Amino acid sequence: MVQCHVILKDLLGGGENIVDMVDLEEENFAVSNSSDADAAFDAVIGSIEDIIMEDDFQNLQQNFMEKHYLEFDNSEENKLAYTPIFNEYIELLEKHLEQQLMERIPGFNMNTFTHLLKQHKDEVSGDIFDMLLTFTDFMAFKEMFIDYRAEREGRGLDLSQGLVVRSLSSTSSKPITSRSTAQLK
Amino acid sequence: MGLLTILKKMKHKEREMRLLMLGLDNAGKTTILKKFNGEDVSTISPTLGFNIKTLEHKGFKLNIWDVGGQKSLRSYWRNYFESTDGLVWVVDSADRLRLEDCRQELSSLLLEERLGGATLLVFANKQDLPGSLSKDAIREALALDNIKTHHWCIIGCSAVTGENLLAGVDWLLDDIAARVFTAD
Repeated sequence: MVQCHVILKDLLGGGENIVDMVDLEEENFAVSNSSDADAAFDAVIGSIEDIIMEDDFQNLQQNFMEKHYLEFDNSEENKLAYTPIFNEYIELLEKHLEQQLMERIPGFNMNTFTHLLKQHKDEVSGDIFDMLLTFTDFMAFKEMFIDYRAEREGRGLDLSQGLVVRSLSSTSSKPITSRSTAQLK
Repeated sequence: MGLLTILKKMKHKEREMRLLMLGLDNAGKTTILKKFNGEDVSTISPTLGFNIKTLEHKGFKLNIWDVGGQKSLRSYWRNYFESTDGLVWVVDSADRLRLEDCRQELSSLLLEERLGGATLLVFANKQDLPGSLSKDAIREALALDNIKTHHWCIIGCSAVTGENLLAGVDWLLDDIAARVFTAD
């Protein structure tokens, strides 16, 4: 469903009507299959999926990384300074998620939702939760920063291996060299 | 507590354990960690930050956190207490002069509320060194018998040779498993 949203948005330049229609179908589907409480739960999950896929969320991450990336380096040992940054990151994402959910779902209450979440404990699985869990994984967090820094400093794609210029045969390279030297003279 | 934190706690208990390894500087925490992980332990420099290793053992996923032990770093230990199932306290058994310091640091850790539910394993490390105290001498010096708040065990070991490291972790794992996974 998430992929579907994105494709539709891409195809139609973010046509709101189409996206709304998809949302509606999603809700109907949920209602027809489970109780109202389950439907409410599923609706929240759907919204979380949406929120995470949106540009706002990506920007939030991007800005955060831009602010802190110089602190991170590639050494195996972690700096103590990473920990408060990590905690700040989790808090930032949590606040954004909660705020967005409250805007989208009338009467949304995080405590009620997390209570439901615990009841659905055994069903709580799948891509969306795996993704949410990676946000809380310190090693994944560190990795993200190291990748960001490498990219930021132009080391993201090391093409040097792929861009070695070789002549087709060892003899053909010589004339070129001597010719260009001759031209320089 | 926010959504992500709650999710993490929910998922945490599924055959996964978080072990926090602390102790004075030069006790051998990082050496133990690397030895466990099958890494070279011949050139280890003092830890100024922290190391994390994730190991599979007996069907459990162990997340082991090793935080530097220098005096100036000890106030940061508290940032790593959360969700700790097992505390591994590493002692340099040959460092007689700092045993009192060692006892004090341990006893203040045991007062920490967030470590309240943790099992304590004391590694009397460096048993391979000639001048080292026995695990019973360490047990006495650290007044371990006075501990009533935590399950605990002391094991003499050598991080360099690897002797008894596994025995220690096996005990820790069994204790945590019996406590946490049957209590749920």
